Amino acid sequence: MLQNEELAARPGLLQRLDPRIKLLTLVLFAVTASLVHSVWVLIALIGVTIALAAASRVGVAAFERRVWLSAGLLALLVAAPSALRIFTPGPVAVSLGPLALTEPGLMGVATLVTRVVASAGFALLVVWTMRWSDLLKALTAMRLPDVVVATLAMTQKQILTLLRTVEQIHLARESRTLTRGSARGDRAWVTERMAFVVRKSMKTADDVYDAMLSRGFTGAMPSLVKLRLRPRDWAWSAASVALCATILFADRMIGP
Amino acid sequence: MSANFVLEGVRHEYRAGAPALTAIDLTILSGEHVAIVGANGSGKSTLLKMLDGLVFPTSGAIRAFGAPLTEDALEDPAYRRDFRARVGFVFQEADVQLFCSDASDELAFGPLQLGLPRDEVERRVREAAQQLRIEQLLDRPPYTLSGGEKKRVAIASVLTMQPHVLLLDEPTNALDPRSQVWLLDVLDEWKQEGRTVVMATHDLSAAAESADRIVVLSEDHTIVADGTPEEVLLQRDLLLSVNLIHEHTHRHASTAHRHAHAHAPGADPDLAHGH
Repeated sequence: MLQNEELAARPGLLQRLDPRIKLLTLVLFAVTASLVHSVWVLIALIGVTIALAAASRVGVAAFERRVWLSAGLLALLVAAPSALRIFTPGPVAVSLGPLALTEPGLMGVATLVTRVVASAGFALLVVWTMRWSDLLKALTAMRLPDVVVATLAMTQKQILTLLRTVEQIHLARESRTLTRGSARGDRAWVTERMAFVVRKSMKTADDVYDAMLSRGFTGAMPSLVKLRLRPRDWAWSAASVALCATILFADRMIGP
Repeated sequence: MSANFVLEGVRHEYRAGAPALTAIDLTILSGEHVAIVGANGSGKSTLLKMLDGLVFPTSGAIRAFGAPLTEDALEDPAYRRDFRARVGFVFQEADVQLFCSDASDELAFGPLQLGLPRDEVERRVREAAQQLRIEQLLDRPPYTLSGGEKKRVAIASVLTMQPHVLLLDEPTNALDPRSQVWLLDVLDEWKQEGRTVVMATHDLSAAAESADRIVVLSEDHTIVADGTPEEVLLQRDLLLSVNLIHEHTHRHASTAHRHAHAHAPGADPDLAHGH
């Protein structure tokens, strides 16, 4: 969260955009990625995410590491078995002993992984170039139901509070531990602490609700949102729509 | 002076057999500064929540501003709006009270809930931020603030509603000495403005310095003393019996000295021991 605040404050391309426009256009790119069939077009889309990350000064290497090691790796692990001949018949591309990977299978895996990496890249750009408070303001301004925005705000707050609690629990134990206990004892301790954190979370939720009632909460979450669209927001929107249209056209021309 | 709150025979149990408050008879007049003191678990926070209409008596009655304060009464939107505009509550833990995405939204939350026009809300946010010297914190998310900064934002978030009554739960808790002095100065300003302040605390020095009246809750969850700071805080045996002070013994060679002692930041000078 703190890193996000620092990245969102940098003078980059995406940071200068209106949060609503940024959110909508990056969602548009992610949807475009889901509609593309050609792995080469998807690779080009990944190139677009890299270019945007560089222009937004968020650190391309760190950005790519985060995207590939989380979304990319997970997608690969899920999709890899589909490359086996028993699942996807076709000419064998790679033989691994008794296992054979087919060309259509490998192309399918590559398409899925690159699609996931491209979509995840756009999603990460939204998170890294926008302050959490601006994201909530954008969602409010876009008329998302108050209960949804309030739930997101409360969830983020709860996560931070409980992370601090868990860290303190761990440090408290570390400060009093001289020797390693048994695995069974460790598991029992973890279970007890999980129950404690759940109880604390429920108590915190009740207290926060009381605090909201105390300040007149009526169920709505109005905000002093002051978002104004500027010429660069319109220019970015037009460029994004044109680029997505070009990508889809190119995908149709190239084929899967 | 008119009464802001009248409690008659109030009893509260969070669950059967575990009373939080017992036989509370209490009247708080408009413009009074009252400190509710007592050991941990004596019912101070429960009493404040009751005054704020968050918790209701198991038996007995509460009246606020001349009208019954009940769960049913607060269902009425007009009554609720009026009550919430008149009474503000600063919780013990600032983290509980800060639930918006940034400090500016925190300050605006209450006035927006009251349905005030946007420019009026913005004016109140600016004024509260200036009064509490938090202008530079307005665009920051609460989790990036220090403990003292969170407390200032929490207080400001209540002040923007411009309540007549301020309820504060352990306001000096977790504040450094400079921030404590600042808070006592703020309480003094509110006194000059004629606001009613009810403060729950076990910090006897803060109570002595800012309150006109001290109400003592015992560990049996009932009121055992109610008077001026001079009348209450010099009753050594009483304070010992309710676990607000303890006896401390130390030796000088063969001589043992026993003193009443309060472990509170800036301990009450009336209880300071001398040789």
